Amino acid sequence: METFDLLMQGFSTAATPLNLLYAFIGVLLGTAVGVLPGIGPAMAVALLLPVTYGLEPTSAFIMFAGIYYGGMYGGSTTSILLNTPGESATVITAIEGHRMAKAGRAAQALATAAIGSFVAGTIGTALLVTFTPMVVDFAVSLGAPSYLAIMVLALLAVTAVLGSSKLRGFASLGLGLAIGLVGLDKVTGQQRLVFGQPLLVDGLDIVVVAVAIFAVGEALWIAAHLRRKPLSTIPVGRPWMGKQDWKRSWKPWLRGTAYGYPFGALPAGGAEVPTFLSYVTEKKLSKHPEEFGHGAIEGVAGPEAANNAAAAGTLTPMLALGLPTNATAAVMLAAFVQYGIQPGPLLFDNEPELVWALIASLFIGNTLLLLINLPLAPVWAKLLQLPRPYLYAGILFFATLGAYAVNLQAFDLVILLVLGLLGFAMRRYGLPVLPLIIGVILGPRAEEQLRKALQLSGGDVSGLWSEPIAVGVYIVAALVLAWPLLAFVLRKTRGPRPETAAADQPAAVPGTDLDAPAGGQNLRPVASPQDEHVDERIKERP
Amino acid sequence: MSVVVGYIPTPEGEAALERAIAEARNRQDRLVVINSSRGDAYVDQRFVQADGAEALARRLEAAGVDHVLLQPLRGHDAADEVLDAAESHGAGLIVIGLRRRTPVGKLIMGSTAQRILLQAECPVLAVKAAAG
Amino acid sequence: MNQLVSRLKGRSELGLAALLGVVGAAVILDGLSLSVPYSQADPVGPKTMPFIVGGLLLVCAVLLAVNVLRGGQGEAESGEDVDLSHPTDWRTVVPLIGAFVLNIVLVDTVGWVISGTLLFWGSAWALGSRRYLRDAIIAVVLALGTFYGFYLGLGISLPAGLLQGVL
Repeated sequence: METFDLLMQGFSTAATPLNLLYAFIGVLLGTAVGVLPGIGPAMAVALLLPVTYGLEPTSAFIMFAGIYYGGMYGGSTTSILLNTPGESATVITAIEGHRMAKAGRAAQALATAAIGSFVAGTIGTALLVTFTPMVVDFAVSLGAPSYLAIMVLALLAVTAVLGSSKLRGFASLGLGLAIGLVGLDKVTGQQRLVFGQPLLVDGLDIVVVAVAIFAVGEALWIAAHLRRKPLSTIPVGRPWMGKQDWKRSWKPWLRGTAYGYPFGALPAGGAEVPTFLSYVTEKKLSKHPEEFGHGAIEGVAGPEAANNAAAAGTLTPMLALGLPTNATAAVMLAAFVQYGIQPGPLLFDNEPELVWALIASLFIGNTLLLLINLPLAPVWAKLLQLPRPYLYAGILFFATLGAYAVNLQAFDLVILLVLGLLGFAMRRYGLPVLPLIIGVILGPRAEEQLRKALQLSGGDVSGLWSEPIAVGVYIVAALVLAWPLLAFVLRKTRGPRPETAAADQPAAVPGTDLDAPAGGQNLRPVASPQDEHVDERIKERP
Repeated sequence: MSVVVGYIPTPEGEAALERAIAEARNRQDRLVVINSSRGDAYVDQRFVQADGAEALARRLEAAGVDHVLLQPLRGHDAADEVLDAAESHGAGLIVIGLRRRTPVGKLIMGSTAQRILLQAECPVLAVKAAAG
Repeated sequence: MNQLVSRLKGRSELGLAALLGVVGAAVILDGLSLSVPYSQADPVGPKTMPFIVGGLLLVCAVLLAVNVLRGGQGEAESGEDVDLSHPTDWRTVVPLIGAFVLNIVLVDTVGWVISGTLLFWGSAWALGSRRYLRDAIIAVVLALGTFYGFYLGLGISLPAGLLQGVL
């Protein structure tokens, strides 16, 4: 009941005309960047960070929430009309959605995606409201050793589970942790990795790092490999659904939500696995299995719902524990730090107004998205005709502006370029960028907990596992690391079963040896280990 | 000699193509169909995709004219591509489609048709889309 | 030829391993240079984390080098607007970086409006836009708009530079 009151207060904060305006701007921007190739919600939030300095944190986060959910919507539009998924998590949507569009059912595909996203987003956010305070209650009782363990688990999970090459994931994590070390040590005031540069004493600005990696690195990378052959979209009117479509959609929406939320809430659960599970489930349960592969509406409804519910799930550890598990959450966490707000379980106590307004604005944003996007779908498709030079020149322009505006120092732009080139090189050599950014954010906090934990134990290393929960979390972390080995052994002993082989393969993504591009599209909400796979599946179809 | 036509999948483009087929047949000339894109946007609805190109080729086949379909993606404007093809294929006639434009539209976009009309070294036949 | 190309490619990835090694070594050396007396209140000290991170980087550097030498290869990141079928297009990337560097050099002296205009115009040119006038108009509008937007909206005064007094 208390939660409900707080939520209502959140609504009253979020529903002021000004904040509604920010929510509106957020969902518009979010949908636009979701639709546009080469720019995702993480980059959009990173680029907006400097612009939002002048805003109240609450307003800024209301806008970010809109961008976050809007990005999901935008992604599904591109994947249905173009067959190139706008977001990695909409890869599955692309399979059936594009088939539907080709068969002249683009309006229905867009409608079931949009309404399904709304349903899943709303239920997902309701689950967020229910579970997050519980997680917080649990988390505030934890001591430093358990915290450290949870952070280590999050770092390991993001690094080892997502992406194809663990080695390259750890390299990326190491770079991120090193970046996080730069500056004054908080406890002793010692300068670390400053190299006599007074401008480095305050550390590397997280905004500059995020903008460099997500915007500059990405823009340079795309510029180096521009797709020269234009695509064409399938013309579409206003999305709508018939009675039969509703009947076939509502169950997949609910089942997709049930898959999506828990996976999103797990560290490194991501949105790909639940979208795929949802697809497989719908195919099995469907009365029209023959339509799958030719444009079955269930194959759009379920995965889209799973995708959006996972987005809501991701916010649970982000808000309750301060643990980001995808790129957008990581950048939003960076924004907390920027505003001087300490993320973690105390966030709910220290900033109740902000948190509950943010959560309320998720509900509002979701509704706005439905209202805006059903009529605007044709307009969004037009956005894809924006000339690329302007898009990428604009990204570089705003990245520069943002990084410069932080301190008005040209030196920050040098760092921006250096880290941007690092981001370019990482994409070139298959180093996923997500572990880096999460390393930058969590590294200093993990160090703090490490020092606290050992301070309590008087320097005795056993202090690290002095709490039962810490022990449990380390065991889970060990399992995560050893998973490929375990999976291998299990597969050997069980032997492959042909009828489930298709389901097993991508579902087993966590930590298996699928040779997908490392962190395919880390820029997008969730790193995508299996992009390439599904892409191949799409291509295989005549 | 050949007939060069700039083709885009719009009513005026279709009208130009129809007329060009007729002209090529009359003149017993080769028909050079240009469908180009600057390729600077993610999506270009005027660029004919693979299945459309196949359909186009079948149509030209059925029309019984000697033809070639070119889809250059060199970052050049459509006008340049048409003029370029006219020169390299020794065009005796260029056929283009025209559409009405608002003054503002002309100002912002420049005019492909105008450039072809002014710079072509052979006669240019400008066709409007059939009314309705 | 093909073999040479693939060997070169492998070698360039070794550069990344070297970079990891250098960063790792720098982190450890920097950690060693810290001199902190043991303190009961902070038994871990500021050195531990650099050692962990530096160690991680060095191990990654070695493993990556071994992996590359054994023929392992990081898979370049794909994306919606990325076509990996053609090699890195340096003729786009280098001018783009040039425009960026030009802005770094100029921004404090000539001011944001001029350097930002050059940045956008130069980037658009590098990316293949050849509509010079339209690009220039957009660039000026963006630079001026952000200058005034930041000043009026956020209270951040971007440098006016040469146009001091004009703006």
